[in-house]
Amino acid sequence: MRRTIGGWALIVLGLACALFGLVVAVLLGPDGRRTTGPHAVDVDGSVLVTAPDAIRWVDVKVDILVEVPAEKPVFVGLGNTVDVTNYVDEVQHVEVTSFGTPWKPKLRTVDGEQPTVRGAPTALDWWLGQSAGLGGASLSMTLPDEPVSLAVVAVGSSNLSGLKVTLAYGVKGGFYKGLGLLLAGLGVALAGRILRRGEPVLEEGAVEGDLDDVDVDEVVYLYVDEDGVEHQLTEEQIASGEFDVVAEEIVEVEEPEPEPEPEPEREPEPEPEREPEPESAADREPEPRYFWVDDDGVEHELTEAELADLGDEYEIVDDEDGEQR
Amino acid sequence: MRRAGRSTSAALTALALAVGLAGCAVPHKRGEGTIDKVAATEEQVASIYEDYREIRNAAIELLDPKPLSTVETGPVLAIDTGSFAVAQKLNRTGEQETGPVDVARVETPRFTQYPLWLFAVVRDSDRDIQKLQIFERATAVDPWLLVASPEALATTKIPDLRHDGSGHAIAIKATDKRGMAMSAQDAADAYAQVLTDPDRASSVGITEDAFIRQMADVAATNAALDGVTFSQTWAAEKVDHVLRTSDGGALAFVTLLRKDQYIVPTTRKITWPEGSPQQALLEDGIQGSSGNLNYYHQVLLHIPGGNAEPRAIGQYGGVVQGEVGFGGQSVDDTSDDE
Repeated sequence: MRRTIGGWALIVLGLACALFGLVVAVLLGPDGRRTTGPHAVDVDGSVLVTAPDAIRWVDVKVDILVEVPAEKPVFVGLGNTVDVTNYVDEVQHVEVTSFGTPWKPKLRTVDGEQPTVRGAPTALDWWLGQSAGLGGASLSMTLPDEPVSLAVVAVGSSNLSGLKVTLAYGVKGGFYKGLGLLLAGLGVALAGRILRRGEPVLEEGAVEGDLDDVDVDEVVYLYVDEDGVEHQLTEEQIASGEFDVVAEEIVEVEEPEPEPEPEPEREPEPEPEREPEPESAADREPEPRYFWVDDDGVEHELTEAELADLGDEYEIVDDEDGEQR
Repeated sequence: MRRAGRSTSAALTALALAVGLAGCAVPHKRGEGTIDKVAATEEQVASIYEDYREIRNAAIELLDPKPLSTVETGPVLAIDTGSFAVAQKLNRTGEQETGPVDVARVETPRFTQYPLWLFAVVRDSDRDIQKLQIFERATAVDPWLLVASPEALATTKIPDLRHDGSGHAIAIKATDKRGMAMSAQDAADAYAQVLTDPDRASSVGITEDAFIRQMADVAATNAALDGVTFSQTWAAEKVDHVLRTSDGGALAFVTLLRKDQYIVPTTRKITWPEGSPQQALLEDGIQGSSGNLNYYHQVLLHIPGGNAEPRAIGQYGGVVQGEVGFGGQSVDDTSDDE
């Protein structure tokens, strides 16, 4: 009973894992990520940053491509929130306060006394990842386990008008992880099925190694004569020391296929008893035949009358096939 | 067949584990923790010291303190600039630091906002001292600058610091006096009062240490100059760098401004020994007027946990400014100079 419950639990768990893995693998695809964009972002100024708590995922691989028209110089970087917040402090900028997948950003404008940041972003050493270019820049990195903010900054005296953002996010090796989860789930489900049927998942002594790993049903000893003909020997012959065992070959015996689950025996249905029919002549017992065997071993058949005449002179014995002598 | 089923199950699970373990990182959401950052990584600290020594050696080679402004600031820069000015006037070259930098200990607290700073202990085996340094980054666009560097004997034991769960030293506010007889800022102010008037040591709760006695001796010597009116004042600046010690106390980096004023009559003249910083700044001495010499002293105060009195365990200082004529008075006296 307990095995059955455990088996079912494993089956359900395994199938759930397998399904989840399948969904992950299908959603992310072979490159392990989802891509969205390009999306236009309305930024008049020169700085776009994410709010301190906007990015909370860890170990997610993110690829960001920012594009601006007219070959304007642009920078994109990911840094610790403490650094980025201080960097844009008192600078007029647009802040991404929250973000929903696949592309649902909430923006707000933050007023500041300064139109742009104080130092060139490329000169700072605290970026965890950064990229700059003319007309566009791309950043690819895995989100670390610390509070981080993303910043898009127009370099020099330019601005971010006409900004377009393309975002891809996923899991490094996500497709294969999904596939792994699928396989693991199937494995667990199969183990659950075996458990439910009352079979040990690992055979007793299977971990002891060598011969213990192999099912040995019987040991057969063979003697090969000079002509190369094999003769089977008994264990007694081996034990007598007459023969030396010179080679051991382990032949795994294929296990018989599992028998189908025993179904409950059906109650025999009552059948109407038939009236006994009169016996036919063929069914009657054959009449006994009597033979007399002379000294030369020749048999002579006797009738019952002749037998009565002889009286006690002869002894009656039963024959093997039922005939009487 | 049964055996085949087991084998398939084991193979599938093993394959899945292998695929899964190929990349162990599993995406997850960060908890609702504080938004903060560690002041600097080990690599950054190494880079900070590499840059510092490179710039300092360049300044020593040029006998020009200007490059130092890219790696030092505040009182440390003022003290070093003063010593460089003295060296220039005396045409005396310094010695470059070419040996390996022995950074014996680095403490990098966590901060929720700028400024960021770190504490490091650097051993100077040539002078048999240890420098207790604070590097600070004021804003995200500023470089790391040395802002404090009191010195202690190599044998001086620096109190153990308390660390947070992630192994980082804990910085506290200068006004925080939990578990101590007084806050770091109060201790700095009290220490300055005692330096101004050593007799007040017991009344303000400061232990009279070697530095206080040394400064009191200097002041007494200057005050004994015949015909010269000497006065000395001390003031503590705002304390910015305090670390919690494991005894529940604190380690405070305190900067003190010392002002020495000499009022010398026309019949008198005071001068300083050849080659001294004071002589370099007040080349002609002081005669018939007043003269001021300003010093910066950086003191490392240990404020023990409980009710014990604070005391200094390290200091570094020097003259940073000298001027003659400010507030000068004529004094009718005929005694000789010095």
